[in-house]
Amino acid sequence: MSTTPQVTVGEMLRRNGVSRRAFIKFCTASASAMALPAWMGAAMAEQLRHAPRPSVVYLSFQECTGCFESFTRSFAPTIENLMFDVISLDYDDTLMAASGSAAEAALATAMKDNYGKYVLIVDGSIPTGAGGACCTAGGRSADMTLRAAAEGAAVILAVGTCASFGGIPFANPNPTNAWPVSGIVAGKPIINVSGCPPIPEVITGTLLQYVTTGKLPDLDENLRPKAYFGNTIHDRCYRRPFYDAGKFAKSFDDEGARSGWCLYELGCKGPTTYNACATMKWNDGTSFPIESGHGCLGCSEPDFWDKGSFYAAQSSADWNSAGETSPREVLELAGGTAAAGAVLGVGAAGMGRLRQHHSEKE
Amino acid sequence: MSRLSDIPVRVEGLPQSAPQSGTSSTTPAGLGGGLAAILSELATLLGRLAASEETAMIDLRSLPMSPADRILLQRALGDGEVHATLKAQGLSTARETGVAGVWWIEHRDAHDELCAELLEVARFPQILASAPDEIQDAAVALQARNSAAA
Repeated sequence: MSTTPQVTVGEMLRRNGVSRRAFIKFCTASASAMALPAWMGAAMAEQLRHAPRPSVVYLSFQECTGCFESFTRSFAPTIENLMFDVISLDYDDTLMAASGSAAEAALATAMKDNYGKYVLIVDGSIPTGAGGACCTAGGRSADMTLRAAAEGAAVILAVGTCASFGGIPFANPNPTNAWPVSGIVAGKPIINVSGCPPIPEVITGTLLQYVTTGKLPDLDENLRPKAYFGNTIHDRCYRRPFYDAGKFAKSFDDEGARSGWCLYELGCKGPTTYNACATMKWNDGTSFPIESGHGCLGCSEPDFWDKGSFYAAQSSADWNSAGETSPREVLELAGGTAAAGAVLGVGAAGMGRLRQHHSEKE
Repeated sequence: MSRLSDIPVRVEGLPQSAPQSGTSSTTPAGLGGGLAAILSELATLLGRLAASEETAMIDLRSLPMSPADRILLQRALGDGEVHATLKAQGLSTARETGVAGVWWIEHRDAHDELCAELLEVARFPQILASAPDEIQDAAVALQARNSAAA
């Protein structure tokens, strides 16, 4: 159905005067960011040079734009590298110069020309309360726009905890009746890249990995790429040896805190949080919250906003990750599909009951 | 101050001795004991390189190392004789360490931010070699130029 000529990445590189070594370097940095074996950089470079340059549509719904801010601050690969060399970013209402009907036309064209092939990136949750009036653009609700865009997508990347699990809008009492992407869309491959916001290189790396291989990465039970979400923060934390040695900071300014001891007793959620912060870190690998002296908030996990105080120590009895329940599982527990729940307009009170059920299960 | 690298960082708890050349005879004790593991892995990889020319890479950014661990690793490996620079969408350096066959590779982007840091176990770093297809294209182009000049 595509009417747009498919330009290979290699052709785009030649047009932009990017040398082979520069592209190997880009791929090496990307492989590093994607937590792939280091030797795969050169292999990726070779494979990508012959791959078509895919169309990407980026939709933002009920969100704070923090995820997009994060996306644009990826060091390896940078968004400029991705846009100029690897992908065709055909619609992004935050970044594009066009507005109004021209922007809407760009979205329609991208979806029509690349039907069945484009990568759909979504950030933000989807509010379904008040007939969808809480988030509209071009006269359509977020729910309507997402359903239409999802229909022709090859894969959907739900970027951020809001798109992945509902996030803060989904938190009790969920006044807008917000849902994650997986609560609205069924029958399409979804990759959740959670985090509030996600690590920039995890967003771009997941995208690049899909573009490189054309396949979904290995996903965990919450549909997150195992390459980034396969270990807990605690497992990979440089303070872990202090936990094992029983050395804990008792306050944020005591001798233990200054000596780099474990922040577990100060509420660190590292033991139950799956993310790559401890190894990939933030701001071009500068540090991560625990390295800066603060415990992990657990922002990449479902319902992180409803799990009590960020400063209350967890019970080790809570460490079993199998006890975590995704929003979709919450709905299934309630006896209906996610999509049906959204259509029927499960109200805030109903959501409260579901969430109570969820809490009891935990 | 306009760059992250401009923020002064002080690493506490390091030994006060000056950086050494060559392999340290003792294994530095890092926070997580990760250094001993890296040095042990390097020894294994060097053995494979010597025996069968098998090359390998270790991505330093994927390891849970503290800033102190990193500095101790640099001290343990020391400096070798070769220091190559590569200008390709930002500066890259390939520095031979004091351990023959172990290269410390740094890739920086166009904004001079570090985007990859690797240890490559090889006779020379892979990225420095000219590619066969580029050599072939260059041969054709040079022959055409020579013919035109003749």
